[in-house]
Amino acid sequence: MKKNLSNASVISLITAAIITVSTLFVPWWGMKFYAPQYPEGLDIIVYPSTLAGDIDIVNSLNHYIGMALFSNESFPELQWMPYIVLAFVVLILIVALLRRKSFLYGLIALFVIGGIIGIWDMYRWLKEFGTNLDPMAPIELEPFIPPIIGENTIANFVTHSYFSFGGYLLVLVFILLVFPLWKDRAK
Amino acid sequence: MTTKRIISAVLGIIAGLLVAVVFFADFNKAGENAAGDIKSKAEKVYVPYGELDEYYMMSSGGHSGQLFVYGIPSMRKIRTVPIFTPDPATGYGYSKETKEMLGGFTWGDFHHPAISETAGDYDGEFLFANDVGNNRVAAVDLSTFTTVDIMSLPNMGGPHAGVFVTENTEYIALPTRFARPLDNKYADLDKYEEEYKGVVSMTTFDKETKKFDLAYQIVLPPWSYDLSDAGKKMSGDWIVMTTYNSEFATTNLEINASQNDRDYIVLVNWKKLEEEVAAGNYHDVNGAKMIDPRDHKGAIYAVPVAKSPHGVDVTPDGTRYIAAGKLAPMMTVFSFEQTFEAIEKEDFTDEKYGIPVLSYESVMEREVDPPGALGPLHTQFDDKGNAYNTMFISSEIVKWHIETGEVIDRTPSYYSPGHSAAAEGDTVSPDGKWLVSLNKISKDNFLSVGPSHPESMDLIDISGEKMEHIMAVPVDPEPHYAQIVHRDKINTITVYEKDENRENSVWKQEDARVERKGDEVHVYGIAMRSRFIFDAQSDRPDAVTVKEGDRVFFHLTNIDLDQDITHGFGINEYDLNFEVQPGQTSTLEFVADKAGVYPIYCTNFCSALHQEMSGYLLVEPK
Ligand SMILES: [Cu+2]
Repeated sequence: MKKNLSNASVISLITAAIITVSTLFVPWWGMKFYAPQYPEGLDIIVYPSTLAGDIDIVNSLNHYIGMALFSNESFPELQWMPYIVLAFVVLILIVALLRRKSFLYGLIALFVIGGIIGIWDMYRWLKEFGTNLDPMAPIELEPFIPPIIGENTIANFVTHSYFSFGGYLLVLVFILLVFPLWKDRAK
Repeated sequence: MTTKRIISAVLGIIAGLLVAVVFFADFNKAGENAAGDIKSKAEKVYVPYGELDEYYMMSSGGHSGQLFVYGIPSMRKIRTVPIFTPDPATGYGYSKETKEMLGGFTWGDFHHPAISETAGDYDGEFLFANDVGNNRVAAVDLSTFTTVDIMSLPNMGGPHAGVFVTENTEYIALPTRFARPLDNKYADLDKYEEEYKGVVSMTTFDKETKKFDLAYQIVLPPWSYDLSDAGKKMSGDWIVMTTYNSEFATTNLEINASQNDRDYIVLVNWKKLEEEVAAGNYHDVNGAKMIDPRDHKGAIYAVPVAKSPHGVDVTPDGTRYIAAGKLAPMMTVFSFEQTFEAIEKEDFTDEKYGIPVLSYESVMEREVDPPGALGPLHTQFDDKGNAYNTMFISSEIVKWHIETGEVIDRTPSYYSPGHSAAAEGDTVSPDGKWLVSLNKISKDNFLSVGPSHPESMDLIDISGEKMEHIMAVPVDPEPHYAQIVHRDKINTITVYEKDENRENSVWKQEDARVERKGDEVHVYGIAMRSRFIFDAQSDRPDAVTVKEGDRVFFHLTNIDLDQDITHGFGINEYDLNFEVQPGQTSTLEFVADKAGVYPIYCTNFCSALHQEMSGYLLVEPK
């Protein structure tokens, strides 16, 4: 079997694997809500396995407009996301072990597809929460879709959504995955 | 040449300085201006020693059952007046009269103060208070800032929408918030629509005897009456009330009472009802003269309004009534003229529970919907035709012109205002100087006192075109509404009049005596600087001996007719304390059920020898 990845590329891949594991412990994405009464802002912070921040306060405010509850249970992804991440780490390590460029192409393709699905899934949830409002809610609001990145105004709240450390680390992982393609490009 | 060199060097330095100034100098002086701003704000509220505030602010104390009196513009708290809650500091709720007045209740939920009015203007004589918690109305005499009468109201379920007074204080009106079966009857919640009723109590107050009377009650559909106001001038015969829960929900009201797009403003002609009651057209319900306005043509109408309205306020000139939408975030201006016209023409769209519903389009003058302004609750007025609305959700005050609906200014409040109060803002002639925003939340504006933050009040200068936020101050829980009255309208007394014929009073030292009637012991005593005299004939005039089980009455007169010399009277271990103000006679009644020796002392610092003002209650064992 022809091993066509250099040592540097293997180190790059192993680093990518380590960083991918580390993303399990940092937030990937977040939203911050500002209102006159909340000048310090309220947070929703999304880790790959759990939600953090002022979830209960946000829920109690959202109930006025009839938005569904945010909770770990309402996002089944959070339960199996860590396994996906770990499975991907295993795949990186396998590719690093086998040193096959063609496998690396597959790995990168998988990463890109996974990323697209991830972002599509987030959009799906934002749409689901923002448009599927309880018609019995005391305050009636036009349905809305908060952006994945950027600013949005809903009633008296200005929301900022943003990618967090985990998101940036995944970009770094992508670069580390692509690096061998450049390092070991045909001369 | 040396001179030339020096000149060129000097010129060089000057040129350099000039460049430096042009490029780096801060011509905006932003910092200095901000400091100047703060200074002028401080000057606006600074009342130098020896001078007095221009206004009294009478602020409801919510579930503390008290009245908080503030000075405006200093925002200094001047006095807490107990109304529905006992207060050991003043002996309110311990002395015989005040104990009887409280009727066994230990708290009340006071939401909306109303100063008595003459021709639609505050006359500063009395202040009325509602008790949402226990269905009562109280009167505070503003010559002494003491509560003089409390009346319990039958058939009510929390008179939240009161109190408000008609133009000449003919009536102090209290509409109920929770519907309830009449006459304390039991009825299943499934029979809510048929058996439960909303009621408005129309009470009168006699300024001479200082007593309330329940003139009559108005029975209404079981909606929730939220807030109300009396008409003025052209609309003087009318009262307006907002309602919610036209859905007749009986559970989870927050959701179930917010379903209909429209609720109602109810207009009632009290003048007409007064005539009908005088003609005997009422039913006796639980001692109250109950009248159903639906039985009398022209007595009641409904105006559709965006759902769950909160405040409804009549403009100073009495020509319009303004509803604030709470859940439909806008203010609606209704015209009385158009309303009367629509009534004349019988321009009704509908009838709800026997109440003719006027056409919204016919009576509505304009809707005011400032972009992004959410949760309008209450409207106040200035002297230039402007309205000021509190926005609970977007946490701001919005100033707009009543005639045009034009939004003139918006200023944030810190945070979440409920009511606001403008100087003389409820009268026919508001002063337009100050507005106080009564906020529900203060967050971290003040030193932390643990998880429960104080409520807060913002002082806003409304004398200019733009509002100017001056300062925020903390306040005890929880003011709902306040009224700001000019100091010239309040005429307090300095001492109680020496009334030698007053029951139980003693004015001469030698008249102080102890009388026994069976197992009742009556002490007719004197408090003066700086001793008690209970029995002039005794070797120890400041000691009283009774027998275990005796019912003891201390009738105490403060004969120091001197300003600010109040005496207190506390009995060790008997959980008793009350005060007698200069010239006042008060009675403390209790059963001496513990044998032993109990020191008595003056609790209210009265003089250099205040510490020596003491005596003994000796209770002989059986
Ligand atoms: Cu004393």
